[in-house]
Amino acid sequence: MIDSLYVAWRYVTFNWARSLTLIACVTLIAVLPLSLELLLDESERQLLARAETTPLIVGAKGSSLDLTMNSLYFGDTVPELISMAAVERVSETDLALPIPLSVRFQARGFRVVGTNLDYFDYRGLRIAEGRNLGLLGDCVLGARAAAELGLAPGDSLLSSPETLFDLAGVYPLKMRVAGVLAPTQSADDLAVFVDVKTAWVIQGLVHGHQDLRDVTDPTLVMDRSDGTVTATAKLAQYTEISPENIDSFHFHGSAADYPITSVIAVPRDEKAAAILRGRYVSVDAEAETQQILVPGEVIQDLLENIFRIKSVLDAVIVVVGTATVLALTLVFALSLRLRQREMQTNFKLGCSRATIARLLGAEIVIILTASALLTGLLLAMVTHYDEPLVRALFIH
Amino acid sequence: MPDVKHTASLLAIALLLILAQLRTAEAEDRLQVYAVNYPLAYFAERIAGDLAEVRFPAPADVDPAFWMPDADTITAYQAADLILLNGADYAKWIPKVSLPRSRLVDTSRGFKDAYIRQPAGVSHNHGPGGEHAHGGVAFTTWLDLSQAAQQAEAIAQALTRKRPAAKERIERNLQVLQSELLALNERIAEIAGANPGRPLLASHPIYQYLARRYGLNLRSVMWEPDVLPSERQWAELKGILSKHPAKWMLWEGTPAEENVARLRALGLASNVLDPCANRPETGDFLSVMSDNAKNLEQVFQ
Amino acid sequence: MIRIRSLGFGYPGNAFRLDIPAFEVQQGEKLAVIGPSGSGKTTLLNLVSGIITPNAGDVQVADTAVSTLSDAGRRDFRIRNIGFVFQDFELLDYLNVLDNILHPYRITGALRLDGTVRARAAELAGQMAIGDKLKRRTNDLSQGEKQRVAICRALLPRPRLLLADEATGNLDPRNKAHILDLLFDNVDSHGATLLAVTHDHELLPRFDRVVDFAEFQSGAAA
Repeated sequence: MIDSLYVAWRYVTFNWARSLTLIACVTLIAVLPLSLELLLDESERQLLARAETTPLIVGAKGSSLDLTMNSLYFGDTVPELISMAAVERVSETDLALPIPLSVRFQARGFRVVGTNLDYFDYRGLRIAEGRNLGLLGDCVLGARAAAELGLAPGDSLLSSPETLFDLAGVYPLKMRVAGVLAPTQSADDLAVFVDVKTAWVIQGLVHGHQDLRDVTDPTLVMDRSDGTVTATAKLAQYTEISPENIDSFHFHGSAADYPITSVIAVPRDEKAAAILRGRYVSVDAEAETQQILVPGEVIQDLLENIFRIKSVLDAVIVVVGTATVLALTLVFALSLRLRQREMQTNFKLGCSRATIARLLGAEIVIILTASALLTGLLLAMVTHYDEPLVRALFIH
Repeated sequence: MPDVKHTASLLAIALLLILAQLRTAEAEDRLQVYAVNYPLAYFAERIAGDLAEVRFPAPADVDPAFWMPDADTITAYQAADLILLNGADYAKWIPKVSLPRSRLVDTSRGFKDAYIRQPAGVSHNHGPGGEHAHGGVAFTTWLDLSQAAQQAEAIAQALTRKRPAAKERIERNLQVLQSELLALNERIAEIAGANPGRPLLASHPIYQYLARRYGLNLRSVMWEPDVLPSERQWAELKGILSKHPAKWMLWEGTPAEENVARLRALGLASNVLDPCANRPETGDFLSVMSDNAKNLEQVFQ
Repeated sequence: MIRIRSLGFGYPGNAFRLDIPAFEVQQGEKLAVIGPSGSGKTTLLNLVSGIITPNAGDVQVADTAVSTLSDAGRRDFRIRNIGFVFQDFELLDYLNVLDNILHPYRITGALRLDGTVRARAAELAGQMAIGDKLKRRTNDLSQGEKQRVAICRALLPRPRLLLADEATGNLDPRNKAHILDLLFDNVDSHGATLLAVTHDHELLPRFDRVVDFAEFQSGAAA
């Protein structure tokens, strides 16, 4: 057997290009489905982990998936907005702690997440550099966002306008980087956290400007009458909040009407969660404009759909794999034809047909062993790096 | 003999160290409670006792409603176990900072439907969309002592949620405080009831709840005790007096002599009704309110 | 060494037919076989070596009735007793010179590869003036060098009978003579018998005897 392996080894190494091609083909057939399985398992784990640590989400009626993805993973699709009244609604039940989320805006490609300090406590987020949110205009960066933007506490970050030609006058806000979070291997690493009130500043609902009582430029004032000053559009609003101008920042209208995208509700216990969910199941379903959902259930449904697709993918891989095996077999058979003379020589030299078969078999063993080793190595790497791979490929 | 003395000294030192450790441990167990004004801090101190360390870090010479804490103070508030808010848009700095909602206690939430809303001095709007007034809620809620008692109850409830084992003690302390507040409440009501409808003037629009609760016929100007009003302001006062013939001006602090003299010339006497939003130089909240009651007695004689 | 009687052979589905009434080669003899193409010279070598079996008659080599042995028996006999040198060398391009020479030892269990064999292979290669090329690929060698590798491979097991099928056919005149010298020297030194099929008439005088396969077709050879 050793001699057969030796001769086979010589053949395989002499025809290295052909051998490498065969090894690559066999490895691919093995690695693809197995890696996909590993990565999907890890995706499921990551998606579910985040969903299962978020007990309840309240949002506008509509796509539960959009609401969940936006609230948990700060997805691109922004659900229909609700108002801070939804936070009050949860708070007044005394059944759960409401944590508002406003996930609408971006800053240099990273999602701006408006929330409050309870979010950090709830998610167990730790400040690695600097401090947490303090004043209006502060932002705290996720670990990866800070690294990719090259920002540290003390730097500034401009919010991005919602549309390129934002004629409505929503000016970018120059935010102060107050701190950087420790890595969490979750969507939080890629977020720019601000107080929800700062998100309203970005939107233009909260703003600061010169005190209109002190304005002397007539082009800035449209009308003064009965204790009311009407400003013109020329009146510039501050695009940066500083200790010097923070006092000028103010709300127009009731804060309860201000928009958010969802509320994370952290119930006291399971009974409270059940009662709270019941409050949203109104007798008059049409009158109820909000929905409350369990993120774990939504993600589970999503994963079941993904697995249905995965089954199709598996079937496709099986078919492709079979075709590849058949092609490889054909290649092997054709190469045997080309090696007819060599086999005749061996026969004439006294080699039995069984030994000839063993020589050819040894070549296959070497190819398969090399493929197995390479497959093992690649799978070990996929297993070792599954978390970051999933984050890079599937869960941004 | 020296050995015995030596041993005794060591034992004493050891005992002291142990006691110090115990006290430290005890101190570590104490709730950290931050308040946005002095009345709430006082209520919390009375109700919590040694259960909590109550802090009200605004400097003594500022109006807590318009105070802006620095970054370190904001961080201290953020780290507190409980943050006592007055509600009614009192502390103007609250909307401008980030605080953990789970630890906020809106002490006047129970009577938010009873907030007094008023037009602001100058409102503004941006374009033809309509007028918006901002800051139009009166915020000195504690000057209605029955409301103060409700705010104290809200504090007690929050403390009990944090320290359920101390429920009885908290309840007991609350009842004592509430009885004192309500006694004072009745006394002021009686004083004001002696001459209902008597026209009065206030130097600053901060007595809305007091006026409502005790039926005071009160009009306000926008004066500061230590600032001489402008001639326009004096003219405005005269205009008010022509329709509201008050004989007393109630000041939030000791007025400047010149103001007192000029008011006297107009037939107005001056007295102080200290809203006690900040920590008094002497006494405490109840002693200040008691002094206010005495001053009102003068006014309603 | 070789004794053939009443041999008849034909390939199935093929009109070719070889009939040899009698044929003998003595021990130690150097016999050349000539004849027109398609006359069955290579077939003769295949019959003698046991690669194929006759339809009729018998073939005896070194007192062994090769034609009556089983497949395994003929293979075993061939490995132990017969060395083959081919016209096209039939070297394996993926093995180096040494591995080509040792190849028969790796593909059969009848021969045992050990240090003695390796030493003898090196010695044989040295005698063939290719001792310094043992690690080279055969594609890098000249035609003459390739044939010498093939001869070393054939001679290494010390065969009693050496069959050469047009061993000098692809060589230039200088190499032809040289290769023949090497073959003859080794055959003589080991006391082996040489049966060589050749078209090179200028080499014939060097053989002990020449058999013309045309005689078999006319029925006159013995």
